[in-house]
Amino acid sequence: MSSLLTDSTTISTTRPGSEEPLSTTTTIPRLEVQGLAKSYGSGAAAAHIIGDLTFSISAGEVVCIVGPSGVGKTTLLKCLAGLHPSTGGNIKIDGKEISGPPAEMALVFQDYSRSLMPWLNVRKNLELPLRHLKLRAAELEERCSTALNAVGLAGAEHKYPWQLSGGMQQRVAIARALAYRPEILIMDEPFASVDAQTRFELEDLCLKIREDFGMTILLVTHDIDEAVYLSDRIVAIGSKPARVLEVIDVDLPGPREQIETRALAEFAQLRTRTLSLIRQEQA
Amino acid sequence: MKSKLVLIILGVASPLVALGLWWSVSETSTNSFFPPLSQIMTRFSDLWLFEHFQSDVLVSMGNLFAGFLIGGLLGIVIGFVLAMVPLLRWMCEPTIHFFRGIPPVALIPIVITLIGFGSEMRIANIALAAFFPTLIAAMDGIRGIDGSLKDVCSVYRLTPTERITRVYLPAAGPQIFSGLQVSLQVSFVVMIASEMLGSSQGIGAMTLLAQQSFMSADMWAGILLLGVIGFLVNIGFEAIKSRVLSWHLGSKRLERAA
Amino acid sequence: MTASSSVINNRIPAGVLVLPKSVSRRVQAAWGIVGALIMLGIWQVVAMAQVFGTAVPTVVATFAELLSLLGTSAFWSEVGITVLISLAGLTFSAVLGILLGILIGTSPVIRALSLAIFEFLKPIPPIVILPLAVMVLGPTWPMAFVLVAFGCSLAIVMQTASGVQDTDPVALSTARSYGMKALEIKTRIVLPSASPYIGTAMRVAAPTALVITVVAGLLGGAPGLGKSIYQAQAAGNTDTLFALVTVLGLLGLVFHAVSTWTEAKALHWHPSHREVSL
Ligand SMILES: Nc1ncnc2c1ncn2[C@@H]1O[C@H](COP(=O)(O)OP(=O)(O)O)[C@@H](O)[C@H]1O
Ligand SMILES: [Mg+2]
Repeated sequence: MSSLLTDSTTISTTRPGSEEPLSTTTTIPRLEVQGLAKSYGSGAAAAHIIGDLTFSISAGEVVCIVGPSGVGKTTLLKCLAGLHPSTGGNIKIDGKEISGPPAEMALVFQDYSRSLMPWLNVRKNLELPLRHLKLRAAELEERCSTALNAVGLAGAEHKYPWQLSGGMQQRVAIARALAYRPEILIMDEPFASVDAQTRFELEDLCLKIREDFGMTILLVTHDIDEAVYLSDRIVAIGSKPARVLEVIDVDLPGPREQIETRALAEFAQLRTRTLSLIRQEQA
Repeated sequence: MKSKLVLIILGVASPLVALGLWWSVSETSTNSFFPPLSQIMTRFSDLWLFEHFQSDVLVSMGNLFAGFLIGGLLGIVIGFVLAMVPLLRWMCEPTIHFFRGIPPVALIPIVITLIGFGSEMRIANIALAAFFPTLIAAMDGIRGIDGSLKDVCSVYRLTPTERITRVYLPAAGPQIFSGLQVSLQVSFVVMIASEMLGSSQGIGAMTLLAQQSFMSADMWAGILLLGVIGFLVNIGFEAIKSRVLSWHLGSKRLERAA
Repeated sequence: MTASSSVINNRIPAGVLVLPKSVSRRVQAAWGIVGALIMLGIWQVVAMAQVFGTAVPTVVATFAELLSLLGTSAFWSEVGITVLISLAGLTFSAVLGILLGILIGTSPVIRALSLAIFEFLKPIPPIVILPLAVMVLGPTWPMAFVLVAFGCSLAIVMQTASGVQDTDPVALSTARSYGMKALEIKTRIVLPSASPYIGTAMRVAAPTALVITVVAGLLGGAPGLGKSIYQAQAAGNTDTLFALVTVLGLLGLVFHAVSTWTEAKALHWHPSHREVSL
């Protein structure tokens, strides 16, 4: 634990004071999406998935994107991660438009079981993205063990992904992203396929990462409760083509706690509000 | 438990009994096609362990491995290139499929007319035979790599070399290995055939020569040696494969158990 | 895996170059033709420049020879006998292989007795016993037939046996509880469930049978295209040699296509048919 804390102090220099609310007009947002459009295919066969999407995220925020299944959330994240070229609008990090996968970003994929290399053990999976950074052996070791500790997989270094349960594989994928030390962490329905107990643990892990590593976190979920519990803000997305319905500020008191936070009256209100937005959209 | 033990004993005993039967029944044989096994074994050790070990056994094996390695490596490399460059692949695909339809042994006469009867001819033939199965397997294997893995490579900004050596090759590994296994089997056939077709050197040539001069014990010794080599080469390959692909075999085993 | 993720991911392989299907098929085929023409062009140039002396005939000479071959009845009888030997050997192997395979798959004792011997014989190609076959049977079609049978049946036996062992135990006990007789169980439950394995083995065996027939002709003097190729080479008749090898390539494609098509047609109903591999 102590190593985690010392670690956060070295990194948090990149993160402007997290105590203040971060919605001033003077600072450039960390991640900015302006009029983003994306279609697959071209000509008459083109499928317009994302219409005109605008939102921004400040440094150190946790933002959840919620929306019905198939609306284009994964597509959006893949555009943000530079995997797909957008067909309109732009994406900026610290005011600079991205072209290709940005160095400061890591993406945890929705389909964790297909995003880990089955021929590498857990430790080697974590090291794979770090090789070309040419880290010193001690730092490599430190990054990997810190990340594995953080996700509670300290003993599993020499296991292969296929020897682990789904929830553990997902944690390996998260650990890989952590060891990479991105400034912006993007996760696509990261907790969709784990049991309820593990899910609570991973949600709290997510908040702890923000504290310890000072990361800006954007995550997609279709679970409204989860979105309210985790977020500083929720971006609700509607479909055909995808666009922002509303950005909801979540000013629940912190630090959040699974039982107490969820019992708050504001929690229920926010939940109802988000849910009715999505329901209206689907109807 | 007891019945399992009986089965294991049966399994071990049956080949021994078969060999024993062959030995005793053939001992008094006067049939010129089927000489006594004892005589075959004597010729086996005389021929292959002494007289012709260096001049033929080593030469054959050397050609086999040289040809197989050249053909297999070229197959992997070119398969890789074709998988990555669609235009090139589209251009080559019909031709490749045509060549794969030709029995590799039928190409031997052509290669003989091109470069004669020397050792190069045999190696070239073996390499040619080994090339196509691995080429096609490598191409399919690399094209079949899961898009998510490619996305992971991009997100974490792996260098091109890292992608190739650390992701693409291992991901296509199971397919490449089954291609190589077919290549090895075909190489072995072509090794024998290229020696039988107008060459005076090698195990295949010696065996055919023995048949043509009605030295049936020598011929049987040759067949035995070729059989043992075919068996051992395959075992060796399986051993390497199960080492290199231990992750794949392990995950398959787990999948089946689930 | 969540339902939504698997549906989406199965439909679209993410990150793969997505091209409009209908156009790309035709474009691909067009490039394939271009590629084939380039290869033919290279062949023609190599032949005319006499890089290998006169060992390589020109494309034109090869195809002229091929055309004139097509007009002779001798050629067609060679093709016919090659196909016949292959198919006869294949059919024999199938019958023998399936019967033996069921026997081995259902009886642990027979399996234990035969396993070591089959495992030894499996990686040994029929060319190894070719000298013996020629010595005993001479340069005849039965010699070729024996080699094809040796080369094809083993794989069918082994595949059938593993298919039989893979029979769903629930289906078996259900059949027994309905009072089915042993023979009925074998034909109605065991055989259908082993059929994808048998199908795969047959698909692999069919082109192999052709190859072995050619080998038997080329090296053992059995009648058929293999023998003609040997004679063309021995006589230095390179036009004919190249034309015959071209014919073999086409014949190989036909065998491959027919066996793949037959397997798909015969076993399209079987859900596991795609998962079976050799
Ligand atoms: N590579 C692709 N090519 C064409 N259509 C795609 C591709 N990927 C996703 N889609 C389509 O885009 C839509 C949105 O998909 P996705 O972003 O995965 O939705 P979500 O993650 O919100 O469930 C779906 O209708 C899907 O079929
Ligand atoms: Mg999604």
